[in-house]
Amino acid sequence: MAPACFSAFELLLLKSRYQPDTASLLLLAWVFVNKRVALAEDRRYLEVLANGYRHSPDLDTLLAVASADLSAIQLAAEVLLRERVDAQSHPFLRRAIGLATSDGAPSLRNHYILRFLADLSGVTPDEFARLFREVTGRALMAPGDPSRHVYWQDKATEAPDAAAGDATPRKQPAWQRWRRRVLSARSRRRRQRREREQLRQQARQQREEMLRQARQREETRRRDEARREQAQRREEARRQEQARREDSQRQEEAHRRQRAHQERTHQRERTRQQTAGERPPHYRVRLALQVLELDESASRIEIKRAYRRLAQRHHPDRFHGQGDLRVALASQRFQRIKNAYDYLMTTV
Amino acid sequence: MRDLYRRLGIARHATPKTIFRAAERCDNHSLKADAMCALGDPARRRDYDDLHALLSDLGRLRAGLGMTHAPHWQGDAANDFSPAPERIVARQELLTNKLEIALRRHQTRWRRGAWLTLAIAIGLAAAYAAGRWLI
Repeated sequence: MAPACFSAFELLLLKSRYQPDTASLLLLAWVFVNKRVALAEDRRYLEVLANGYRHSPDLDTLLAVASADLSAIQLAAEVLLRERVDAQSHPFLRRAIGLATSDGAPSLRNHYILRFLADLSGVTPDEFARLFREVTGRALMAPGDPSRHVYWQDKATEAPDAAAGDATPRKQPAWQRWRRRVLSARSRRRRQRREREQLRQQARQQREEMLRQARQREETRRRDEARREQAQRREEARRQEQARREDSQRQEEAHRRQRAHQERTHQRERTRQQTAGERPPHYRVRLALQVLELDESASRIEIKRAYRRLAQRHHPDRFHGQGDLRVALASQRFQRIKNAYDYLMTTV
Repeated sequence: MRDLYRRLGIARHATPKTIFRAAERCDNHSLKADAMCALGDPARRRDYDDLHALLSDLGRLRAGLGMTHAPHWQGDAANDFSPAPERIVARQELLTNKLEIALRRHQTRWRRGAWLTLAIAIGLAAAYAAGRWLI
């Protein structure tokens, strides 16, 4: 049920390895079908192409489709237009021109078809004329116009010449045939050589391009690295400088603090000596200071600080939940510290 | 190339008599001479019709691809053979749609088969029950 929906060309396209190849083969077959005389040499050329595109058994189908099915040609044109394979150096258009002009000037139908294909490849008229001259070695002529009577008059004057031209091969058919075969073989070889050269040139250009890009990338990378290293060095130097400055500041501060501390202790001793004379503090005071883990020269503020610290450390609530014994011991210590502090606060 | 049929106002498959009469009625002398020259002779008319068919095809192709204003489609041919703008159908999209439909059918063929079998079974059972009830 489902396969009947697809046309022959759609099936070929779905099965193809690379869709633009199939599409371009169909359009070349279209050009071939519309030639004035279908040469065996052109047919062989198409067979070689189809073989390269893995379509060798499908060439007859393609030829039949090309001569009958307009929607298939539209599909092929859409595929080519979508993929834009013919954007650079136009290999497909070159092939089409070569195929259409292998037996002289292209037929009227092929004139229009080639222009359609040129539009499909995005080639301007000037560029198309240049391509045409490059491929065929002849200038591109405007197609004749059968809707004007001048065309038919010209044709009528040409016709006797053509008849005469037709008469000669009948006279010497053998050598003429041989000569035609040689000529066609030579033209085929020339075309193949030209294509090969084009491909080689493209490959060389691509390689050069890649090399240049790689070199540029390398250069930019090196430059970036150098810049980064410089920045790192500068950063490090700055950091060292800062560290040195901070060190010196810290040392100065430490010096200052030490000096201030020494002065303060000296003053305190002096005042104590002044107030208490030579007499050492009472033993109870000494005991209390020992309980508070201070020496004898402690000031009121220091005593207060020490009391707070020790009260926090030995408060019985800290040992809640660790057994009654520990709570009891802690409360004893706390009581002792509190007594010492109270005594010191009342006396000093 | 011009579309002589269109310019003369006759159908593409007009008889030689109609063409002759239309050409007689035509006021443009050069067009008259061209029409008589190209369409009067059967062999010439065959050649002309051949190219005419190709150009109509190309016009339709270009309309479908959106290339009716391309640099190679100028002058008389473009004027006479560009069809009226219509809905553009992209064949590639049609192809993808068809593919999707085919794929869906392929994927659901078991389910569809199962439904069909079930319907047939139910129908048979109903027929059997109806037969028992009637007899």
